[in-house]
Amino acid sequence: MKHEAPNIDWAGLSPVIALLGGAIVVLLAGLLRSRLVRERAVPFLAIVAFGASLGLGIWQWGEDAQVFIAKGSQATLAFDELTLMVTFIVAVAGIATVLLSWRALAPREAAHGEFYALLLTSAAGMVAMAGAQNLVTLFLGLELLSVPLYVLCATEMRRERSLESGLKYLIIGSTGSAVFLYGLALIYGATGGTDLREIATGAAGEAGGDVLLLTGIGLTIVGLGFKASVAPFHQWTPDGYEGAPTPVTAFMAVATKAAAFGAMLRLLDVGLIDAQPDWAPLLAILATITIVVGNVGALGQSSLKRLLAWSSVAQAGYLLAGVVVASSLGVSATVFYLAVYTMMNLAAFAVIVARERETPWGDDIASVAGIGVSRPALAWPLTISMLSLAGLPATAGFIGKFYLIDAAVDGGYTWLGIVIVIGSMISLAYYLRVVAAMWMRAEVAAVSATAQPRLAGADPEAERPQWELYLVAIAAGAATIFFGVIPSPLFDLATAAGRSLGLL
Amino acid sequence: MNINWYLAVSALVFCIGAAGVLVRRNPLVILLCLELMLNAANLALIAFSRMHGNGDGQVFAVIVMVVAACEVCIGLGIVVAMYRRRLPIDVDEMRELHG
Amino acid sequence: MSATTAAWLVLACPLAGTILLGLFGRALPGRIPGLVGTAAIAGSFVFAILAFADLQSRGEEQRQLVSSLYDYAVTGSIDVQMSILVDPLSILMMLVVSGVSMLIHLYSVAYMGGDRGYVRFFAYLNFFVFSMLLLVAAGNFFLLIVGWAFVGAASYLLISFWYRRTTATAAGIKAFVINVVGDVGLTLGAFFILKESGTLDFLGTFKQAEEISGANLTAGLILLLVGAFAKSAQIPLHTWLPDAMEGPTPVSALIHAATMVTAGVYLIARMHPLFEQSAAAADVGTIIGAVTLFVAATIGLVATDLKRVIAYSTMSQIGYMVMGVSAGAYVAGLFHLMTHAFFKALLFMAAGSLISAMGGEQSLDRMRGFRKAMPFTFLCFCVGGLALAGVPPFSGFFSKDEILLVVGDEGGWHWILYVVGYVTALMTAIYTWRMIFRAFFGDPVPEAVELEHGHIHHVDVPVNPATGEEEDTDVGFPGPEHHIAERALPMKIAMGTLAVLATVGGVVLIPKTTTWLDTFLEPTFADAPHHDPSDGMIWFGLALGAALGVLGIFIAYTIWGKANGEIAVRLRERMPAVHRFLINKWYFDELIELLVVRPAGWFGRFGQQTFERVFVNGTLVGGTSGIVRAGSAAVRALQSGFLRAYAALLLVGLGAVVLYFLLQA
Repeated sequence: MKHEAPNIDWAGLSPVIALLGGAIVVLLAGLLRSRLVRERAVPFLAIVAFGASLGLGIWQWGEDAQVFIAKGSQATLAFDELTLMVTFIVAVAGIATVLLSWRALAPREAAHGEFYALLLTSAAGMVAMAGAQNLVTLFLGLELLSVPLYVLCATEMRRERSLESGLKYLIIGSTGSAVFLYGLALIYGATGGTDLREIATGAAGEAGGDVLLLTGIGLTIVGLGFKASVAPFHQWTPDGYEGAPTPVTAFMAVATKAAAFGAMLRLLDVGLIDAQPDWAPLLAILATITIVVGNVGALGQSSLKRLLAWSSVAQAGYLLAGVVVASSLGVSATVFYLAVYTMMNLAAFAVIVARERETPWGDDIASVAGIGVSRPALAWPLTISMLSLAGLPATAGFIGKFYLIDAAVDGGYTWLGIVIVIGSMISLAYYLRVVAAMWMRAEVAAVSATAQPRLAGADPEAERPQWELYLVAIAAGAATIFFGVIPSPLFDLATAAGRSLGLL
Repeated sequence: MNINWYLAVSALVFCIGAAGVLVRRNPLVILLCLELMLNAANLALIAFSRMHGNGDGQVFAVIVMVVAACEVCIGLGIVVAMYRRRLPIDVDEMRELHG
Repeated sequence: MSATTAAWLVLACPLAGTILLGLFGRALPGRIPGLVGTAAIAGSFVFAILAFADLQSRGEEQRQLVSSLYDYAVTGSIDVQMSILVDPLSILMMLVVSGVSMLIHLYSVAYMGGDRGYVRFFAYLNFFVFSMLLLVAAGNFFLLIVGWAFVGAASYLLISFWYRRTTATAAGIKAFVINVVGDVGLTLGAFFILKESGTLDFLGTFKQAEEISGANLTAGLILLLVGAFAKSAQIPLHTWLPDAMEGPTPVSALIHAATMVTAGVYLIARMHPLFEQSAAAADVGTIIGAVTLFVAATIGLVATDLKRVIAYSTMSQIGYMVMGVSAGAYVAGLFHLMTHAFFKALLFMAAGSLISAMGGEQSLDRMRGFRKAMPFTFLCFCVGGLALAGVPPFSGFFSKDEILLVVGDEGGWHWILYVVGYVTALMTAIYTWRMIFRAFFGDPVPEAVELEHGHIHHVDVPVNPATGEEEDTDVGFPGPEHHIAERALPMKIAMGTLAVLATVGGVVLIPKTTTWLDTFLEPTFADAPHHDPSDGMIWFGLALGAALGVLGIFIAYTIWGKANGEIAVRLRERMPAVHRFLINKWYFDELIELLVVRPAGWFGRFGQQTFERVFVNGTLVGGTSGIVRAGSAAVRALQSGFLRAYAALLLVGLGAVVLYFLLQA
């Protein structure tokens, strides 16, 4: 038997190569003795790698590169606009995460090289997952994304909560992966192919309506829903977010979600598009449950990270609306909202990290009380972020939600649009609580160190405000406002991503 | 032999794994049960591969084995880290994070 | 300058003012921030006049201009431009909003002079005016929703301006929540209409108005009405307005008399081509308006808080407008909107002056005999009162009669509304003059005597009149100084101007004499059916209106003016049940409590007790109300921290999903 090596489009693959190559370089650089190299050069190199990936992604925009084409089948990895949008989101989130973790405790505990290498590897997994056109690649991408994140969650090894969140995430995450894998196996069994196009042909033909196929779809939806924090598979989210080091939480929150939704869009809207009448109502129900559970769970949380975790569950519900309708408009709306979601969450997490280091209150809501007066440069980004998450006009969150509702109405799911609106209404209750704490409450006086021991996450060296945190917070906040007022550049990108799947 | 038998065994193994995750409190055993679940999927993949007569499923299964090994490594690493901190090796004791 | 450029500048001025005051306001000394804010709104007003002038110089066919700044979002099914619609209707609203706002800003320059939050106040106020102007200038549903939501947010900020006052924060939240309900209604309504018309653009939608009638349109319009009712405080979404009187008095004058509450009226007038396609929706508006105008007036008869009486009166007058525009009396409704803005803002300003003289006290029970101490305030109050009571030749007389005339001309069951309208007109005159006779006549109270000797009354420790708790002056409860119109020139100018306008404002549309307003608004309402009531009806209406106004004042005088109001006391003793019913505001809050809050509470407690006891012993910190709280308890109880429980839920969810698919197969 003669084998031909698959044809690899190196230029198309370059964004992933940048990430993985960067991971290796960072890992090696981290072995150097000099403290300067480890603490300055390694994060810098990581940023360069993320930046390179971003730049190469921009270079490849519109090329629709198909890499790894084996003979007679479709490429296993497609770098179309959808993949590239996810790449951009992941790269931006990665740069922000590196900045947030630069002077944090976690990289020092886990050794700098390893920490940033894991971050880069996970990012590569996300890109691969979003671009996968083959079940094997999809599963590999998912695991490449997850395994480094399990470790990253547990990097603050001396903090019990960090370990707990790592192990919980690992066990629940692996259960989710196993379920997902079983689903993929059943889909393969029903359609006879691992390639999305083969699956589409199979699902349109004799395998359509088959028990094996439908069960397989159900299991894969659970697996992807798990990664995207869709209720009732969301329970790892609050615990994982709260326990993980905050910069890692920021990365998990935005980048994982982008990858999971990218993969979900491609798998459901390309491979299983003919089964849409079967899965769409189920997803719509899951979206409703997710919106309700997320918003209701966020009420009354006093930990900001936990609050954002529940809010991310709710936001996943909104995002599902774009998947349900399986239209190019829906894909655009989802991608648009993912980008917007990245900005607003990064702003919030940057502020949380800053306050964790400046106050002894950790991520409790008390840490931001009264910062409207004392730290307006942090209060504004967090205010913008909260208002945008709640969907107030003139913020990017508003137009994002508007777009999603429009997609839902257009796809015949008006009631889901109504659920989104009602969900946003409930969400005001907890987002505004944070805003009120910032502007209307007096700063909680930092009691003496003996009365309130410094939380482990707080950095003893960081007494003064740290510029990189302000940079991330202000840039993300400004972007949220900018795209709220002038969203058309982002719209163009999202529309291109929407068209790339070949839907109506 | 009918493919259904393979599938039945595979489903059974998957359920045993899932039940193990639910009832065992030792993280090491839970990791073992996760392995069971993944291997159940492997069995299904190989059976399907045989049924369809193409090699995709077998390739998939080999890759899954690698991935499963990685997951267990990480799990063991975290368990060791917990052991070093003298934390109880019992998932029911991990309740710092809740609510 | 073209009308559209001018209209954009109308929007730009207050926005610039907001940003300027928000960023650099603290650096400005003394009263400069207030003057900057006033100047920004004055700029708006000037540009509105320029836009008006340019529009009038065009041919009648070219008086509907759309100007787009840039493409906001053009993709797929939505095509949203940053566009404004400049037509006579929006110009009229811009003129009224910016003009009255300018005077209220001027008034606030002095009135809020002693407040610690002076800069913050003007930044909010400018932001509010910007939002309101955006709302009226919007050229598509999208911008309308944006302006709508901004107005709600701004009103929250202004009502809770003294945010250390618990009653003020509670009132602000109440207003905000009801406004959000309205926003939701408006948004969903817009989507329903979008579904039918395929465009968010106003003119584009109106063009196809005749083709899109049907159930979806009616549903969409009723949802729009929910938005309108929430903003305009119509029953049953009215309960926030009286509570909103917790805000500073200029805020009441601005948003609760002249601008925000009229947004609903504007919305209905703007959507008139659609409402004409759906009689059901229009009837809902008409009936709700009529019910509101009657109920609010009855409550106004007995309320004792000076500002709340005026607030209920506002509700009632907005009811007239909503009834009018829903029944097809567009020009008349907008005419009343305009005159009402003049005289109601005037009344609020005069009330503010009076409250200052009382050192922050708002209860009518404690006020008496201020006539000699505050002649200017008294005069202004009387002018406003005469206009509100509908006594000729004051402005309110013409505008109210115009609405009732058109409603009566409709015939059929609208006759009931016609009668209700005139009965309420009588009550209006009574409650208005009740305020005047109680506050200005009779034996002067100590505060008034003190003022006659040249001293403004001051309380040593300011307390919240609603709860009696001590005020926190750090964030600027009215502060140690009070300002009354007699002593502050800016207040005098503002009130004087409004008094003149309230007197002569009716001149733009006098039956059989002038038709200026009618002609001006013609391009907007060109395709609306015209009413041509008979001469007899016109004269009858005018005569009846005038007679009822005078009669009402006379009744008020007999009850409260003569003999220090002893008749009033006797009346109250004679009919305790009626009094109790009215003083409790028709038990609306209680009804809502009984129907919504309590069952939700039971549900919540049930959920809390069962779930909490069974699953966790933790305490529940948050949750806003019943059902949500129960849900929160349940969801968080499930989040127990037990890893195996999480795995179990995951597998249960998995089972459910698989079961769903198996049922499909």
